[in-house]
Amino acid sequence: MSDTTRRVATDVGGTFTDLVAFETGADGQLKITTAKSDTTPPNFEAGVLNVLEKGGIDPATVDFMAHGTTVVINALTERKGVPVGLITTEGFRDILEIARGNRPDFFNLHYVKPAPFVPRHLRAEVPGRMTYLGDERAPLDLSTLPDIMENFRAEGVEAVAICLLHGYANPTHEKAVLAEVEKLWPDVSVVASHQITREWREYERTNTTVLSAFVQPVAARYLSQLDDGLKSRGLPKSPYIMQSNCGIDSLAATSKIPITMVESGPASGFWGAAELGKLIGEPDILALDIGGTTAKCSLIEGGEVKIMTDYWIERSRKSAGYPIMVPVVDLVEIGNGGGSIARVDDFGKLHVGPQSAGALPGPAAYGKGGTQATTTDANLWLGRINRGYFCGGSVEADMAATESTLSDLASKLDVTVDDAARGIVRIANDNMVNALKLVSLNRGHDTRDFTLLAFGGGGSMHAVALAQELQMKKVIVPAAASVFSAWGMMMSDLRRDYFATQLMDLTAGAGARIEDIFAQTEAEARAAFEAEGVAPDKISFLRYGKLRYQNQEHTTEVPLTGDITDASLDKIAQEFHAIYEKEYTYRLYAPVEMVGVHLVARAEVGKLIMAPAKLCPADAQGAIKATRAVDYALEGVHEATIYDGDALKPGMSFTGPAIIEDSGSTVVIHPGNQVSIDAYSNIHIVLEA
Amino acid sequence: MSEDPITLEIIQNALQATSDEMFAAMRKTAMSSIIYEVLDMGTGITDAEGRLASSGAGIPAFIGVLDKSVQFILSKHKNIRPGDVFITNDPWHGGVTHLNDLVLAMPVFVDGQLIAWTANIAHNSDIGGMAPGSLSGDAKEVFQEGLRLPAVKIVNEGVTDDAVMDILTCNSRMPDFLKGDVWAAIAAVRVGERRLGNLAEKYTAKTFLAAMDSFMDFGETAARAELAKLPKGTFELNEPQDDGQVFNVKVTISDDEFVVDFRDNPDQSSGPANATRDGTVICAQMLFKALTGPDTPANDGSFRPLTVLTREGSIFHAKEPAAIGFYYETEIRSNDLIWRCLAPHIPDLLPAGHFSSICGTFVGGIHPDTGRQYTIIEPQIGGWGAGHNHDGISCTFCNFHGETYNTPAEISEARNGLYVDRMALNTSPGGEGEFNGGRGLVLEYRIRTRDGFLTVGYTRSKVKPWAMEGGNEGSGNYVEVIKPDGTERYSFVSGLDVTTDDVIRVVTSSGAGYGDPRKRDLAAVAADIKSGFISTERASEIYGA
Repeated sequence: MSDTTRRVATDVGGTFTDLVAFETGADGQLKITTAKSDTTPPNFEAGVLNVLEKGGIDPATVDFMAHGTTVVINALTERKGVPVGLITTEGFRDILEIARGNRPDFFNLHYVKPAPFVPRHLRAEVPGRMTYLGDERAPLDLSTLPDIMENFRAEGVEAVAICLLHGYANPTHEKAVLAEVEKLWPDVSVVASHQITREWREYERTNTTVLSAFVQPVAARYLSQLDDGLKSRGLPKSPYIMQSNCGIDSLAATSKIPITMVESGPASGFWGAAELGKLIGEPDILALDIGGTTAKCSLIEGGEVKIMTDYWIERSRKSAGYPIMVPVVDLVEIGNGGGSIARVDDFGKLHVGPQSAGALPGPAAYGKGGTQATTTDANLWLGRINRGYFCGGSVEADMAATESTLSDLASKLDVTVDDAARGIVRIANDNMVNALKLVSLNRGHDTRDFTLLAFGGGGSMHAVALAQELQMKKVIVPAAASVFSAWGMMMSDLRRDYFATQLMDLTAGAGARIEDIFAQTEAEARAAFEAEGVAPDKISFLRYGKLRYQNQEHTTEVPLTGDITDASLDKIAQEFHAIYEKEYTYRLYAPVEMVGVHLVARAEVGKLIMAPAKLCPADAQGAIKATRAVDYALEGVHEATIYDGDALKPGMSFTGPAIIEDSGSTVVIHPGNQVSIDAYSNIHIVLEA
Repeated sequence: MSEDPITLEIIQNALQATSDEMFAAMRKTAMSSIIYEVLDMGTGITDAEGRLASSGAGIPAFIGVLDKSVQFILSKHKNIRPGDVFITNDPWHGGVTHLNDLVLAMPVFVDGQLIAWTANIAHNSDIGGMAPGSLSGDAKEVFQEGLRLPAVKIVNEGVTDDAVMDILTCNSRMPDFLKGDVWAAIAAVRVGERRLGNLAEKYTAKTFLAAMDSFMDFGETAARAELAKLPKGTFELNEPQDDGQVFNVKVTISDDEFVVDFRDNPDQSSGPANATRDGTVICAQMLFKALTGPDTPANDGSFRPLTVLTREGSIFHAKEPAAIGFYYETEIRSNDLIWRCLAPHIPDLLPAGHFSSICGTFVGGIHPDTGRQYTIIEPQIGGWGAGHNHDGISCTFCNFHGETYNTPAEISEARNGLYVDRMALNTSPGGEGEFNGGRGLVLEYRIRTRDGFLTVGYTRSKVKPWAMEGGNEGSGNYVEVIKPDGTERYSFVSGLDVTTDDVIRVVTSSGAGYGDPRKRDLAAVAADIKSGFISTERASEIYGA
């Protein structure tokens, strides 16, 4: 009946397609259902329909559906896009291959430079130039375009990318090329840089445009099949698609510029962290998502996630990678998860990750032939994970295999097996601490001012140790931590981030110019939303200026409120000085300039509303399952009380040492920690002062 | 009692993280594009005696600089206090490179005990001297190349010495840039100092020091393991240079030592292309590191098996007060000499010659839209040599640079007020082989105002990148200035006048080829033709295809 609201999140991963359904009853109570089925390439919509059926969800009864997918990142990393032809400014067709000339692996004299996604013979030039101020320096000449298109067709090109010099400042030439391409070759997939980004740096923008073109036909096909499949089963409204900027966007808009989905996987979890923080009065959060192969973290300040356009794929100490200049949540990801392999190198040093045992063979304890110890094996050995309730009781832990792999490491390190296992946990924790520092201390934030929110399969096992190391006072493990990302999707708004480069001094006249850029961008955003049927009163904006000291390169974002006039310039500059000093420890008495704007356009489209439960008495005795010896590494072995996570109710509280177990996760609570369950069933762990 | 190996490992990871954090802090706050974009900078940590413990990403040519600076500061100063920051730039006072490169170093104390140093180095845009940008091909003495800072305190127990800061800024043509960059450097060493202090307090100074020692021992063990795999013997090379001089190197590799002998080389020059002994040592360290484990951390221990012999008064070991502004072109020659000398004996470790020049390019003038002075100071990208089983890479910085970025045309046009007419791969002949060298660069700047200047100093212009096993040599580095009355070609020029509508065309070399071109795979030749790198006619001539 209509007094139940049903919201569904589906997520297509490499192996599995997941479903989480949230049903809010008339009494405001929330019921969560999960289901899992195989991913079904190349007809991914079949897997989505299967998982809906498995979860007992009739698409016709779904009020709101959000969908996350790895289709874009997979097409990129597996090079399964389409052949692209590039049209660029005369004199610049090699930009894509020149890239930025850097060589991160700098002692290596055999460094391999990443190959461009478009080979040289498919990179064409057209005469015509804009200046950095957006004035036309030389007129555009389209006379060679028919020949270029002819050549592209003959060479099997399936998508065309257009990126012209200074197209961010004035897209008139790009628009003319776009129109001409569409006229000459109406059914080709085509994208121009100004449709994706209005920021400068021609290599980054060209590569972004090319990568977008590369995945566009693949992603569009995927999304239209998904939409058709769901609609044919009665889904009333197209699903919203999770984006890298922590928002969702309409399926139609995503089909046009699918590259914005590139890092959508982690984004929903971090959005969930921000929303949960707002719900429970914790606006400053360090969010940590530990999965099987990686750990990801992001900092949330004042309830806001940080969105940047400095995103790269395949970038490492060994490779320059490829830039993608789209709004992506600011995160750090390291190869350190439950399945990360521990090894001792030729010099007797212990390393954990980034190699992972994956799903097969997995940790040695899976008993599927894994011969290398993983973080999960160490956690089992130390009693942190219940040997008798491994993977929620679905797997019998092969402790003999675990012992054998740990003994192997122990002999290489010349320590006991226990010490080897503790070493793995300590090194894994250290890797994660360093990642957390990158998003906090390295950016001028004091970790003591933040609460650690840990989710994903492994987050709650390591969170307290990490918080101790970073001198944080509190850890929160959300309810249903293992499906927290899906919850995040349910909490998302429609969100579009607009970035525009426009260099100006903060002097008389600038106020009106800045206001004008925002007004134009807001009008553009509003028109786009309204064209998709979003009610005008649901739309809201956040404005940020990107400022720097004159002559610097990197900018600092300053939140701007109200209409901007020349009278506000001084206040803007003062706020910049203050934010800059906080991040970098000093301020300069130098002129401040504005490099561009960042506008967040949001519209609420029916996200989940959470209702608090009544608190029961504090006594948690009823949830105790057992006690067992747990090795806390640096704090030694303690007899810990084991609680059944499903039996813990809002209002209950207790003190560590303890372990909370449910089918999806294990929460390790250190001696002296104060634990309480809040009205939304989140676990709050206060560390001993 | 011996220390817990896991704790040592965690401290060593923190050393690396701290170097990286200092690097990030400096990059984000610097004023000059040569620092924040080109990343002509480095950060590092030494132990209390100034031995290198770890270094931040950046450019390999700066990795071995900071230890030498700290060692000099230690030898000069008796009164080193918590909160002090030292500054030096003079190669006879711990500065190593040239006067533009300011080194800042800060001691780290725990409970009154000196336990480490944090330091950084960065190229500053103008430090005074006879020419804008401080570098002039006409300099005869270091005094003409800017203000010399002989390892002095710029911050005294946390209090900035305004006198030193005033002298510094007053001597620069670009005082605001200099001041901003020096502050970025101070902020960076302070970030590092705070982190290391916390680390040592947490784990105790004793354990912290043990971690540093064991890290360096690990560096040595790793280097010696690779040294054992190198061919043993003495190898020698004489190589003529663009200016007619002949340089010499002898390399002797034994089971436990790698000796590079540069003693038999010409006397120091009367111009600014002199290298100092410390600089020459760094060149040998870079190549040694490439041969003995580019993947393991670079620290003091990594270089213990290496000995470098030089002769004071020679071009590789210049005496005060030699001019040293263009030191880097001489340094890269010494590095390339060792490379070329050994490559025939270890072709799996060393590819054929690359464009092997910093190709330092300086363009300045007045920005036509803002009326402000602009100065471009940039190294160029070029072609790398082919290896025994692969083509060389195109348009990448030389081996002195690493995590270095070129300047985008869109940013250059806005910042410098000139036009970038072209940024393209250089398709001129050169570098062909069974495996081709990578492509160099063609970069065209069109000047928009009067009274601009151009200074360049490129090597590998006449004597080109060297090939292996019958490949063709590279095409050579040069710059062309195109004026209405004709085109001139240069490899060294100082303060050349450039004016409205003049075009400066920077052309860098392809890398050299490896192996007989006639053995090149036919499919690869067809791809070269299709890519427009070579005409069908010339392909048939060179490759016999």
